[in-house]
Amino acid sequence: MKDWRAMAKAGGLEVSERDLERIAGPLETLEEAFRPLAKELKAEDEPATAFHAEETE
Amino acid sequence: MTIREAAESLRARRFSSVELTTSAIGRIESCNPELNAFITITAERALDRARLADIELAAGRDRGPLHGIPIALKDLFATRGVRTTAGSKVYEHYVPGADATVVEKLEAAGAVSLGKLNLHELAYGITSANPHFGAVRNPWNAEHTPGGSSGGSGAAVAAGLVYAAMGTDTGGSIRIPASFCGTVGLKPTYGRVSRHGVFPLGYSLDHMGPLTRSVRDAAMVLNAIAGHDSRDPASSRHPVVDYVPDDGCGIRGLRVGFPENFYFERLDGDVDSAVRGAIARAESLGAEVKRVAVPDIAALNAVARVILLAEASAVMEPHLEKRDRFGADVLALFDQGRLLPAVDYVNAQRLRRRMQREFAKVWSDADCLFMPATPNTAPGIGETTVRLGGREEDVRLATTRLVRGINALGLPALSMPCGLSASGLPIGLQIVGPPFEEALILRMGAALEDGGVGISPCPFPRVES
Repeated sequence: MKDWRAMAKAGGLEVSERDLERIAGPLETLEEAFRPLAKELKAEDEPATAFHAEETE
Repeated sequence: MTIREAAESLRARRFSSVELTTSAIGRIESCNPELNAFITITAERALDRARLADIELAAGRDRGPLHGIPIALKDLFATRGVRTTAGSKVYEHYVPGADATVVEKLEAAGAVSLGKLNLHELAYGITSANPHFGAVRNPWNAEHTPGGSSGGSGAAVAAGLVYAAMGTDTGGSIRIPASFCGTVGLKPTYGRVSRHGVFPLGYSLDHMGPLTRSVRDAAMVLNAIAGHDSRDPASSRHPVVDYVPDDGCGIRGLRVGFPENFYFERLDGDVDSAVRGAIARAESLGAEVKRVAVPDIAALNAVARVILLAEASAVMEPHLEKRDRFGADVLALFDQGRLLPAVDYVNAQRLRRRMQREFAKVWSDADCLFMPATPNTAPGIGETTVRLGGREEDVRLATTRLVRGINALGLPALSMPCGLSASGLPIGLQIVGPPFEEALILRMGAALEDGGVGISPCPFPRVES
């Protein structure tokens, strides 16, 4: 798990502890859900950068 | 009165567009101080347009069902010569030099815009408690949020200030206010309606669509705004059809998918029974209800959130050093987006494509899906959590739980009222279809509406006894 608080501070974000929590808390929850999904990706999985809603293949 | 009824009366000369517009202006003047639905009211411009509409109709130039009809626009749509704030202090004084494509098309269809509607700051939230332009209030109960981000659009339509309002939907921002305010809200397929001239939030997730009083009204607006636009790189060349359902349109034999996982979990009890009631009504009208399993929507929601965080922060990056210009909630989201590694964004787009393929398999078993638009009814203004299924949830995450993933898939989705809670707040049914099947979901919605699914008009302003 990333240390989002440390990353925010290292990025020069000067905010109160309360605001830091508002930033880091949701990212921790999101990372928990997202990281395992990303691990399932295979090299051939292309990004949807040119996204077409009708594409099904 | 619906757009269709007003249009018939205009042609029968029972009233003129000027009279209709004057009446709408009067209603806005009396109701807007309480609702705060409008940021900018363009009464004089509207009356000029209405006069022109009357002259044209009298001369036999009929632009179609929106001709002479009062509407309004979320203040995210660029309007030439009219301030367009995006609900933000950053754009407080911005006056565009050109109209958004949707605005051009609505004008070409003869619609009369009465102004620009309030919204959640930069369309990045679901409460429409705007720190710069004030909170929008729900006409069903002014102590409750109208939802968002198109909160002014939902409130204005529900309160009968206009016949239709344009909204945008990046993570539910049309369907949530439609659900909370008891209006119809249509999010078309990604690429069906041009994004050109609309302030972006998430480039690959932004959709434009109408909020209206009836399903057929939403279809009439879609007829006016759908189509390819070379100025929008995501715009589709998929053929446009007539989206307005026929009178007495049937749904016999259509397959309604009832998701057996995710979409009926942790719902408010009133929401659960109202939506199940609508499904039962569809069945009694001849639809075939089929239980279907949908892919992992919680995972899809996580993917959509990563994409939105990154794209929204990219949009606003040049302005984020002036932190005092932003409300605390949107600033926290922008900070989150700036911290996300680029690898996460790319991987989210890879997962999105994979999930799109998985979800498409649902359409071999069902023609459309029925589900609630929101798991809850409108929360009180200022409430930050909601209790659902015995669990306390963040109000934003709960409210977007059933709508956000559909944006990542780009699918068309309709929210329509299907009942009131015990406390008198509207409940929204969501109908989701395959890509570019707007006509099908509108037909389904219209048949339900004809079949008695819906609610009475909002009693606003309430008369105290």
